[in-house]
Formats: sequence, C-alpha cells, structure tokens
Amino acid sequence: MKETECQRLLEALRDFFFAQNAIQLANTYAVLEEAVSFDLPIVDDWEMVEFAFNRLFIGPKAPIAVPFASVYLDSEPQVMGKSTLITRRIFEMLGVQSPWQDSLPDDHLSLELDACIRLSAIRQASDSSETEELWSYFLHEHLAKWLPLWIDQVRTAEQVPAAIRSVIDILGDWLAGEVRDLKSADMAIGL
Amino acid sequence: MKNPKQEQMEKTLVCNQSRRRFLQGLLATGALASMPIGLLQPLLAEAREVFSDAEYQTFRNACPRNCYDTCSIKTYVKDGVAHFVEGAPESTFTDGGLCVKGNSYVRQLYSPDRIKYPMKQIGRGSGNWKRISWDEALETISAKILEIKAKDDNLLGLGLTKYSGNFGITHYGVEGMMSSLGYTTRFVGTPCWPAGIDAQNYDTGSMWCNDPEDMVHSKYIIVWGANPAHCSVHSMKYIFAAQERGAKVVVIDPLLTQTAAKADLYLQVAAGEDGALALGMARHLVDKKLVDREFVTKYALGYAEFEAYLKKNITVDWAAKKSGIPAKEIRKLAEEFAKADPATIWIGYGMQRHVNGGASVRSIDALVAMTGNIGKTGGGARYGHLMTWGFNYHAMIHDKPAGSKGWLGKSGPMGEFHGASGEQQAEYSDRTVNINKIAQDLLDTDDPPVRMLWIACKNVLGQDFDTHKIKRAFDKLELIVAVDLFFNQTVEQADIVLPTVTPLEDWTVNVSYWHYWLSINEQAVKPLYESKSDIEIAADLSKKLNAKQPGSCTFPQKINSKQWMEKEFNQGIYDLFGISSWEQLRKGPVKAKMKPASFPDRKFLTPSTKYEFRSDLAAGNGHAALPEYKEGRKPYAPLRLLTPHSKFSIHSQFQNLDWMHDFNPEPFVYLHPKTAKSRGIAEGQLVRVFNKTGELKLKAKLTDNVPSDALMMYENWFGQKNRFNVNMLVDDESSDMGAFKTGSPGVAIHDQFADIAKA
Repeated sequence: MKETECQRLLEALRDFFFAQNAIQLANTYAVLEEAVSFDLPIVDDWEMVEFAFNRLFIGPKAPIAVPFASVYLDSEPQVMGKSTLITRRIFEMLGVQSPWQDSLPDDHLSLELDACIRLSAIRQASDSSETEELWSYFLHEHLAKWLPLWIDQVRTAEQVPAAIRSVIDILGDWLAGEVRDLKSADMAIGL
Repeated sequence: MKNPKQEQMEKTLVCNQSRRRFLQGLLATGALASMPIGLLQPLLAEAREVFSDAEYQTFRNACPRNCYDTCSIKTYVKDGVAHFVEGAPESTFTDGGLCVKGNSYVRQLYSPDRIKYPMKQIGRGSGNWKRISWDEALETISAKILEIKAKDDNLLGLGLTKYSGNFGITHYGVEGMMSSLGYTTRFVGTPCWPAGIDAQNYDTGSMWCNDPEDMVHSKYIIVWGANPAHCSVHSMKYIFAAQERGAKVVVIDPLLTQTAAKADLYLQVAAGEDGALALGMARHLVDKKLVDREFVTKYALGYAEFEAYLKKNITVDWAAKKSGIPAKEIRKLAEEFAKADPATIWIGYGMQRHVNGGASVRSIDALVAMTGNIGKTGGGARYGHLMTWGFNYHAMIHDKPAGSKGWLGKSGPMGEFHGASGEQQAEYSDRTVNINKIAQDLLDTDDPPVRMLWIACKNVLGQDFDTHKIKRAFDKLELIVAVDLFFNQTVEQADIVLPTVTPLEDWTVNVSYWHYWLSINEQAVKPLYESKSDIEIAADLSKKLNAKQPGSCTFPQKINSKQWMEKEFNQGIYDLFGISSWEQLRKGPVKAKMKPASFPDRKFLTPSTKYEFRSDLAAGNGHAALPEYKEGRKPYAPLRLLTPHSKFSIHSQFQNLDWMHDFNPEPFVYLHPKTAKSRGIAEGQLVRVFNKTGELKLKAKLTDNVPSDALMMYENWFGQKNRFNVNMLVDDESSDMGAFKTGSPGVAIHDQFADIAKA
C-alpha cells in the first residue's frame, strides 16, 4: 500500500472509532470505503449501527470492548494504567500530546492510530534508525499485543452490524500487514 | 525473548533524558516540520514538564459513602494519574488503613466500565443509547422543566430522589438545585436508620453517640444487631483493645456474624425480638436491685412508670420465650452488664429495620440508662450522631425563583439533616413523599403527577423496595434523569444518564455519623471523560434554563468546586475542630474537640432536659410513651428473609469492581443445613427463593451461621453480568418510627419472609 493510501486508511479508521453519532459514523465509513479498494456492506439504518457502536465501545453499560490499550495489556484491567503512560511517553517522543490528556486515556485507539500516522510521516521524512526502532517497539510491543485481543472481543460479540465487522476486519488486516512488513524488514537486517 | 533494541527502547521510554534526546534528534532532522494535522497536538512548552522526574504528589481525600468509618484517605498521584491510596495515618480512627472497599478507589476511578458521557436512551430499557453532548442533555432537561412549569403552573411535577451514594457536604447542592428551580416533589426520609433516630430523640432529645475510640475504656460491650467486622472495620480495633484489657464482648444478632465470631459470648436472638430481650434484662435488673438509682431519679423522667410497666407486663421467662435466649442467660447477661462500669451497647441499624424497631431501640436505650451508663466514657447507647455536621450547607440553600408556586402548606422537606440549613417557613412548600415507598408514591401522586424524576447519589431500582412495583411506577414518568458513575438497574431504566465524578476527582468535605473526625476531599486528578460533579451539573443547568427563560433558576451559573467547598466552613466548625482555616486540613484530618462521652453533664435535649423513660412527645406522635414491647410483623411465608450488608460493598457500590469479583463473584442464599435437608437442597444447588413480592434464582450455601427459621442473602448489586436484586423479595412495609425526625418512617427490611425450593 502506498504511503498516502495508508495514511488515508488510518485517518478513516481513526475517525470512525472516534465518532460520536450516527452521522459521523456514516461519514467516516464513506471515507473509509474510498480508502479501500472494495465495497463495504451497505448500511440501511445508521442509528442501529450507532446503538451497536455504543454497546461495543462507549457505554453507558460496561462496553464489550473498550478501546483503551491498558485494559488489555496491564496485569489488571483499568484505564490510565502503566501502558497508558507508556503511550503518553511515545507521544512525547514524537513531539505531541493528547489535547484530552488526563480526561481521556492517551491509549485510546484513535489517538494511537493518529500516532501511527505521525510516525509514518516521520519515517518518510527521516531515515533515522531510532525512529524505526520506536515504530518497531510501538507496533510489536504495544499495538500487536492489544489490538488482536480487542478485535477478538468485537468479533465474538453478539449482534455486531456487518459494517462494524468490516471496519474491524480492515483494521485487523492493516495491523497484520504492518507486522508482516516489519518482520520482513527485521529479518532483512538480521534481527 | 525481547531483542536488544526493544530492551533499549524500553529503557528510553522510562528515561526522561533519553526521550528528550530522541525528540531533539527528530527536531534537528526537520522531520517534524510538516506533520499531518490530526487528533494529537504539538507538545506545548508548558507541558514539557512531562519530561521531569515527578515525585508522587499527595492529596487528601475522604470516603464519602454511607459507612460508619468515613475514612480519611491519602491519594498518591504522579503524571496526573492516581496510583494508589492509603488510610491517613493522622486520623487515629482510620489509623493508616482502609477497608477492602476503600482500597479499591483507584479501581473505581479507572474502571473501564464507568459511564463516560451524557447519553440518552431511545426507548426506556431498550439498551439503545445515543451519546449526546452536555448541551443537548441540558437542552432536553431544561425544556422539560419549563414545559412542566407551563403545564402545571408549578414544578411539583419535578421529583427528586437522592440519598447516600455520596455524603460529601457539597453534594447537598442537588437539593439546592431543586430549590433553585422552585417548589418540587421531594422523596424524603431515609431507608437506613430513621426508627432508631426517632427512638433516641424521644429518649435523649438527640442522637449522640460516644466517640467510638472510647470503647477501649469499656468493661462490657454489647454489639447488638451490628456487624462492624464487615461494616465498620476500624471500630474493631477498639473492641479488641477493650477485650485485651479484660472487657467482655457480647454480640446479640440473629446471624452468627464475623463480629460474633470474635466475641466472648454470642446470643442468637430471634429476629425482631430485641425489645423483648432488652425488657427482660431490665426486669431482672429491677428484681435484683441493680438499677442506678441516682441516674433514674436525678437525671431521668418517668422511670417509676417504666419500672411499674416492667413489673406488671414483663418477666424474664416471657422474654426468654420471645427472644429465644434462655432465661438463665438473660439473667446472667443483665447482671454482668449492670455490674460492669462502664458498660456500653452498640445499637446496630439492622435491629431497627423492623415494624417494632424504634420500640426496640427505646428498650435498649432504657437498659443503658437505668444502669447509669449514659454520660460516661466507655459507656453509652451508641447509635450515631450528627454533632459535627454544622456546615453552612451553602450548596443546598437557594432562593426560589420569584413567583414560584408549590404545595400549599409549610411542611417542607425533611431528612436526617433537617434544620441544619435554618431554612425559612414560606407560604408554599415542596411536596414531600416517602422515600421508602417510591413506587407507591409515584403511582398515587397526582394533581399534578410526578412527570420528571431526577435521581442522584442513589440506585433506586437496586436499593429501593419492591422492584417490580418501581418499574411499573416508572412507566408513569415522562422523563427520568439519572446521575451516576456506573450503569446499574436504575440507569438501565433512565431516559438520560449524566456521568458524575468519583471522590478523587472532586472537591468536598466530609464528616462521619459515628466518629469525630473531619476530612477534606481534594481534587486529586482531573475528572475523566466528560464527568461532572453534582454542583457543576446544577450550575450548567441553571445557565441553560436562564438562557431559555431568564430568572427561571437561581442556582449560580458558574461555580468553582473548590471555592464552594470552602463556603461550607464556618467559625463554628473551625472552633469545634480547633482549626483556623480549612487549609490546615491539607496536612491531615482533625478531630472535634469534644468530650468522649455524649451527654457528659447528663443534660438532655428533651423537653424535660432529662432522660425520658416516659416521652410525651412519643405518645403525641402515636407511640407508647414508655419503652414498651411492640409485636413484630406477622410472618407471611415460612422463613424469615434477612438481607444484611456484605463487606465487599456499600449497598450497590464497589461490588461491581473487578477486585470484589475476585473474592465475591456471585450471590448466594445462605440457609441452615436442617432447612436445606427438609427441602432436599444440597450445597451449591440452584434454588428459587420466593414470596409475595417476587422470586430470585441463585445458588444455595449451607451454614449454621443462619438460624433454621431464616434465609440470608447480602444486598449487593453485583454489576451488569448478574441480574441479582434482593429487593425483588423485599416489600416497602414501614418500620414504626422515623417520621418525627426524618420526615418518613423507615422500612422493615428485616421483617420479610420467603420460602425456598430447588429450582
């Protein structure tokens, strides 16, 4: 995937999982459909997708799959955990911070995807080995450890609309591709 | 195995200097010059302190739950994140330790299950929720309030039910918000302790317990219908200390509790027959001439009449038959209690949750009084107190909007803290209905009906009585707004839910109804997500209402929570606690400068200024003037159903947290092996517990800690993965007292009956 295509895909995924209502879900879904090279399931009733989205990720009932890394990575599931602070430090190394720091856990999926976009751009602009090592760490030790668990929570949940399943699949495919690419690169340099 | 580069990166991530060097390297390459605009923002200059090696900051907090112990807490914060809490060592009561619930405050704050945003439900109970902005939520709410006002020409159609989910003083701003809107319908009273409050007020003119720390001086301690090993763990150390000094500890309870297991003597009283036992003991003291004649003649009113009542109506054998305690034990207990000096009785809230609960408390009070144990260090009839609660209630007191109309009459709302605000009588008042009969009140109240219900600090469907009836009553409501931390049974039935803050995210001040300490509650961390405190919600609602209809709400439209906490203090509080400024509380909690004994000069707040064995006030309110025996509730099913508190929860709080689930993953019904055998029930078997109110299915646990004529189950809310709700089986039968001081009678929570069978 070309870098610009990858960026568009990540932006669309980021915005989908940050959506607050049916209209935003529908709009970001449309952008996502443009970013991938295939048709996504047609949605008849975005309000029903919104209800399901909230049951899965938002609440008010305990979400089936909260989109915060620390809940999956830390020894005891909680937000603002050790992994959240690691994510915050990775953001700092990239010269950014969450504008919602302390009110929204830094390791929200959408913030992490935003960091991926930024890291990708930095890697394009610089051939620093340290940047590659940071990306390798973020991907292998963080994203690839919690996202499959989170994706699995969604995939095994009941009554998940096809649209959300498709977006989850796209995210899973992107992650698998990145892991594969990085492993190949690592092998090439003998790691 | 990690590769060396990953290990190096981990070192970089935890090293401030290395991270800084990394960023400086990126800046030098110009790689950050044209970054895509996204959610993350460039690191602000003032935020660069994130690179500093911050030490823990400590904040002062207090547990605001409905608990004797009201612990003083120290919270440790780093990187803006609360890492752990501990009991404040400065309080000799908290003594550096917290209970299993208090220790989980960080788990509560950072639970992934918290309600995060304002949301509205499309179809009550449907589970179809939309995330909405605060603005949209308040738009809907304010429109409804104004619609009610226009329709009814008053706001009695707006109801408030709030209780003890958070006893922080600024949380009385919820009542203040209602007052600032006009005259509304208030669900008044308390499900907790009202019968005992009235009883003690008839006897002593107040409710004022000794300092629990003075129990170390007791020579004889009777814990009667309380289980501090579960519900007041910090008090246990004083009981143990007294025991080590030679005191005898007796527990009187229908259940062999964890406290009973630590006692020198456990007496399994028949539930609801505590009054009979106390009167039997009193009769024996009369026969044995063990009455403190100085106290009953000099400091008391009506003792002769009480003694005459005892001689005419009470025998030890009768008391033995009623209470199930052998006559020999009653005589021995009475004599030991009378001969010990000082001796004390801790009167638990459990034992007054009966149709005769107030009468029983008066009988036990009488026992303590006639042995001269009132006004003594190490003595006392300990129930609770409000002596340290003299705050300004600034958040609660607001004028009504001009021209407000309400309930014709001057009754006004009441509660435990009635009178604290010094509110003025008015032509109109709020309409008051019984908090303990919310279902029936909602169904019966008309002209106008309650159209909108605001629920704060309370899980109505989890904690109020007769769940099925409440659900039916909710059908009559046009809008239900619930303010809460977690999605519980009440939120499930709400139209709008508003996320509120945990104690670690809020400013307030706390005192106890048991011990004598005062604690500040600082905002240790910023509120997570979009949660707001009760007073912030009130201010935002006021802003919205005044924008739509100027003058429609008098609550200030912009507030500072810290400043509002400051406004609760006054010179009286400062003098009582020996401080000159609330700021001193940042160094730790302080204790009231009070004598350890209540009524130390034996001057009482009754009309006669004496201890009143004969209370004309009680008689005037429809009760016996004397502490007389009152029959219990007639059983309507074969087994008594007892539903006490668990150590893992305070009502419907805490048990939903993961730590509690580790230790207490599911509810059980506990029953005696004989009872189980007669019904063919085996340990761990799924059973039905049923009565006229409802039915529950859960697993059975067999134990002889429960009497053979009873069933026991804890009253927890287990969280969303379990539909258990003990109030499916508990009706709203009133206790005998409570209306005098709290506005409504209490609930006979332990006068419930049920049967059990294999599922």
